[in-house]
Amino acid sequence: MANWAIEHLLATQNVDGGWAAYAEGPSRTEPSALAVTALGLTSETAGGAGTDAGLAWLRAHQAASGGWPAMEGQRADSWMTSLATLAVSHLEPDGEAARRGADWLLRQEGRTVSWWIKLLVRLRPQTKTVDLDLDLTGWPWTEGTFSWIEPTAYALLALKRLRPSLPARSAADRIDRGERMIIDRTCREGGWNYGNSVVLGEELWPYPDTTALALLALQGRPAAEVEAGLTALSRMLDENRSLLAVSLATLCFRAYERPADTLRTELAARAGPETAMFETRPIALAALALVDGPVPWRVDGDG
Amino acid sequence: MVDRRDFLKTSAAIAAVGGLTACRRDTPSWESGAIRKPDLSPVAVLPAPQYEETALVDTVTRGVGMFDLDVRDRRVVLKPNLVEFDPNGVINTHPTLIAATIESFRSLGAREVIVAEGPGHRRDNEYLLRASGLHEQLEDMGARFVDLNHDVVRRVGLRSSFTELGELYLPTTVLDADLFVSMPKLKTHHWAAVTLSMKNLFGIVPGSLYGWPKNILHWVGLEGSIIDINAALDVPRFNIVDGIVGMEGNGPIQGEAKQVGVVVFGADPVAVDATCTRLMGIDPWKVGYLSAVEPFLGNLAPEGIEQRGENLSTHQADFRVLEGFSGTKPAPSVSAG
Repeated sequence: MANWAIEHLLATQNVDGGWAAYAEGPSRTEPSALAVTALGLTSETAGGAGTDAGLAWLRAHQAASGGWPAMEGQRADSWMTSLATLAVSHLEPDGEAARRGADWLLRQEGRTVSWWIKLLVRLRPQTKTVDLDLDLTGWPWTEGTFSWIEPTAYALLALKRLRPSLPARSAADRIDRGERMIIDRTCREGGWNYGNSVVLGEELWPYPDTTALALLALQGRPAAEVEAGLTALSRMLDENRSLLAVSLATLCFRAYERPADTLRTELAARAGPETAMFETRPIALAALALVDGPVPWRVDGDG
Repeated sequence: MVDRRDFLKTSAAIAAVGGLTACRRDTPSWESGAIRKPDLSPVAVLPAPQYEETALVDTVTRGVGMFDLDVRDRRVVLKPNLVEFDPNGVINTHPTLIAATIESFRSLGAREVIVAEGPGHRRDNEYLLRASGLHEQLEDMGARFVDLNHDVVRRVGLRSSFTELGELYLPTTVLDADLFVSMPKLKTHHWAAVTLSMKNLFGIVPGSLYGWPKNILHWVGLEGSIIDINAALDVPRFNIVDGIVGMEGNGPIQGEAKQVGVVVFGADPVAVDATCTRLMGIDPWKVGYLSAVEPFLGNLAPEGIEQRGENLSTHQADFRVLEGFSGTKPAPSVSAG
């Protein structure tokens, strides 16, 4: 019998094959990508009707550009393309959808500041209000804006999974720059905030969800920040035991082959979807964290 | 020392989280549909020394009663400021005031009172709602919470052009409200000087489409975005500001608590924010987005604001601002507006 999270995903799948952000509502790309990955990697539901319908929903909503909108009817491609690409990379890694999604990701890049701002910062360092390397870029939430940890982490995970089928030089360059951007944004006490580590001289707090995602994205990258991040993540769980935090931490610790059995037991014993207010995202991540066998989002080799 | 102009331009561009990143070449304009400035805007300031629910129900009921606000059989949407949680901080609109407002609107005959927010920093709603205490309050009261970051949306054409956004997808929970109530906390803001009723509307912009912390709004210009969102929102509006304990210094997240002891009420968000700014000892004419909307969106000048309830001077507090906003102080004397 499947765990409670999988049961909930099956029960809340829309008739069009996708999932809403919460138990009811129109299908969206982010929850659909996470939920179908969980169904596809869970032995009881792999290859089942729910997985097929979810995958069909993702295929049907990929734009000609290779990207995915956040929802039906939205004109622009979305940051959720990373998650959709990651989903299809698990379920049909040699498929056309994954390759087109990866191509789209390689064409996207966070924006940085103009040369005159960089010059100004060099001349008047006191005007620099955030402590980061202005030359390092990852992926933005919306096209033409700043790079942030979460969209960069998902993009790196997708590109690393599909790396053998991508143009070697451009993939290596984007992965390297994305990883260096994440490392550059590390909080001083370890771990990651959403975007910056210091603003106006004040240190920002790391969060368990962004820290786990950053660590997952850095798999295969030797860096002192990784070990510090794993330590910080353990510490953050003392304060935050939300379904989102515990699920992502479990995925992260499993990927790094750190002890995660206690966390998995805790997830399996959860009272059910109401603990996460019926939000699909943390529930799908819990289902992913509870997958037996190969660890979801694990990157083998050197990434 | 960095003057405010340099401060805003450089910090915004560098961080992509500042105010005047997108310096428009055209002069900003607004459609006739965005003109909502009344001849006179009543604003009420009522004393509220602490977060005590029974007393606050009475305060809110009295405050709302000072306005011609019929909520019978209406669907009321409360939009508090819920962005982050710090056990030692005062970041969010206090859950006790939210609970008191729900109770008050229910007692006034509202068909439904919904609490809706799209947290700007955290994507971990379970943690944020439980740690802040709001989840428990809403559960006790049987009130519904809508996550505006993931709500069903409609495309809305903007009615002013202080940014180049042109349109936004906004949540139907807000667009279809019979009464939308912005419930900010009285806080300074490190990029915009103050965050009050108007800035609080960043929380209605869905993060699922625009990212966290609503990054595109910062990129196209924080102050312009505040204006364009407020000018675009064409629903009956009211504002209730948590000024019991505010935040000074490096707001909206890392500032320090500042006891003021008031709740501020009013329908005109510009007049409400101008009054709050004066309470904070800041000159509203020196807050960029407030002075920019004065010609069309609401009243900023003292002669356009009808003061009800307490005298401002009784509660005026000297909020500390970051060095970059030192030009916003000192405010003119309260008696002069």
